[in-house]
Amino acid sequence: MAVLTVRDLSKTFNVGTPRASRVLDNISFEVQGQTFVSIVGPSGCGKSTLLNIISGVEEHTSGDISLKSDQGGDARMGYVFQDPRLLPWRSVMKNMMYVQDELNEETTARARRYLDMVGLAKNADFFPGQLSGGMQQRVGIARAFAVEPDLLLMDEPFSHLDAITARGLRAQLQDIWAQSKKTVVFVTHDVVEAVELSDRIIVLQPGGRIYEDITIDLPRPRRQSDPTVATLQAEVLARLEKMKAATQVAAPVA
Amino acid sequence: MSDQLLDRPPELVVKVEAGEATARKTASRRKMRQTAFIVAGWIAMVLVWEFGSWWFGARILPRPHEVVLEMGEILGNGNFASDFTASVLKTFAGFGVAAAVGAPIGYLMGRYGYWRAFFHDGVTIAGTIPAIVYAVMSLIVFGLSNLGPILAVALVSAPYVALNVAEGIRGVDKSLITMSEAFGRSAKQIRREVLIPTIVPFVFAAIRMCFAVAWKVEALTEVFGGRNGVGFQIRTEYQLYSISGVLAWMFLFIAFMLVIERLVLAKAEARLLAWRPEERSTAL
Ligand SMILES: Nc1ncnc2c1ncn2[C@@H]1O[C@H](COP(=O)(O)OP(=O)(O)OP(=O)(O)O)[C@@H](O)[C@H]1O
Ligand SMILES: [Mg+2]
Repeated sequence: MAVLTVRDLSKTFNVGTPRASRVLDNISFEVQGQTFVSIVGPSGCGKSTLLNIISGVEEHTSGDISLKSDQGGDARMGYVFQDPRLLPWRSVMKNMMYVQDELNEETTARARRYLDMVGLAKNADFFPGQLSGGMQQRVGIARAFAVEPDLLLMDEPFSHLDAITARGLRAQLQDIWAQSKKTVVFVTHDVVEAVELSDRIIVLQPGGRIYEDITIDLPRPRRQSDPTVATLQAEVLARLEKMKAATQVAAPVA
Repeated sequence: MSDQLLDRPPELVVKVEAGEATARKTASRRKMRQTAFIVAGWIAMVLVWEFGSWWFGARILPRPHEVVLEMGEILGNGNFASDFTASVLKTFAGFGVAAAVGAPIGYLMGRYGYWRAFFHDGVTIAGTIPAIVYAVMSLIVFGLSNLGPILAVALVSAPYVALNVAEGIRGVDKSLITMSEAFGRSAKQIRREVLIPTIVPFVFAAIRMCFAVAWKVEALTEVFGGRNGVGFQIRTEYQLYSISGVLAWMFLFIAFMLVIERLVLAKAEARLLAWRPEERSTAL
């Protein structure tokens, strides 16, 4: 598990050029322990950018980010992307091992265990091109879990999948997460999905400011068929609609 | 799958098989017709050749069976293997040099805009110079030596290798690099696991493209300045006024190189690129 502190974070692309655009504006939040946080917001509000900054792939313009393992020391990170991002020339198992720092019996066994958890133990020697899109995405999820990250970043991991596959994987994700002690930051534009999975939802508004920080206090495992889940989903959705209506008036026309 | 087939009503299964049988029959008939045309093509070629021998006289253009007998003689005596090995080794040595020089240049061109600007025009010009010019230049540099053919092959191939590697690097999937960085992979790992596998198909394309030209350049250079190899033998036969000898060596060399091209290169490529899904392999 990790302690992630984001303070006054801002990001402007193309600083100092006429095309400069501010994507994140004074974002502050803190996440720690076995917490599942979702970041929700409309397309283009900077969700992926925020994850990329947290993961260190992208630089930020101002503010501070600190990320530590709660056992002290540097936090290990795992990333599940919108697309599977597997090396097409390596087998599934080799893909799993590519992101491991050490290649030994322990890490191999761990990779196999997570592959088994997503139901792909039999496909360890397949090349990604021989798997369906949903299976590839599952490999991507297993890969991120198998590095035993303190912090797991997920960027709309189910958005490219059909509804049924996505529902199955969401249930799987809940199970795996319940078994493994990890801090998760999960990006989605799907409020229904966010309510089902999260302990907390951070709503970003266009322009990259935090609009709301909602705590979701529901027992787990949550199932779509559960009426209390559905009620809360409707409520959060209504709040988001309100935000959209408010910001659409306020947002400057590009 | 087989379960599904068994669950179906039996007559449907029979129909499916009958359909398959018809399809198979049509396919085999088409194949036979194609084979007939190939054979007809060969017969036509031999007839044209026979006619040519009659027209020009067998001293200038020997008849086909004379050349075939000569080929048998060459195959029968021991020099054959050593000359062929010499030519093949020189061709591959030339490729080795081309890859050693061309691949790093291509890497720099693909990776960095400035290096691309630096190399681009030079490499393009080098790729446009006719192969015969390289053969002549190599002879001037090395004279009668084994190094001439190697240099000629290297000069012909290097620009292709460089351009293809550059193209390959530029086509690298950026999202795989982001993924690698997000998981904390080192620059060395990224190079080995992402960049190099990306360019392998491009290098192969370059080598196959070059090979067709390279072995001709190699033989040509040997004709003028070799001390062994197929080209050297062709020159020797020429000096003995044995045109059937020249033709026999040439045909053997063509056959041999086609075998290498089809079998060795294609096999190596198939093995290295086994990961490519079947349907997509033609698209690349
Ligand atoms: N490299 C870049 N250079 C310039 N602008 C960028 C760059 N990357 C992203 N942006 C801009 O930043 C804004 C936010 O992008 P981001 O990908 O973070 O959105 P998002 O919230 O993830 O959207 P989506 O839900 O569609 O994935 C967009 O307006 C985009 O145009
Ligand atoms: Mg995004």
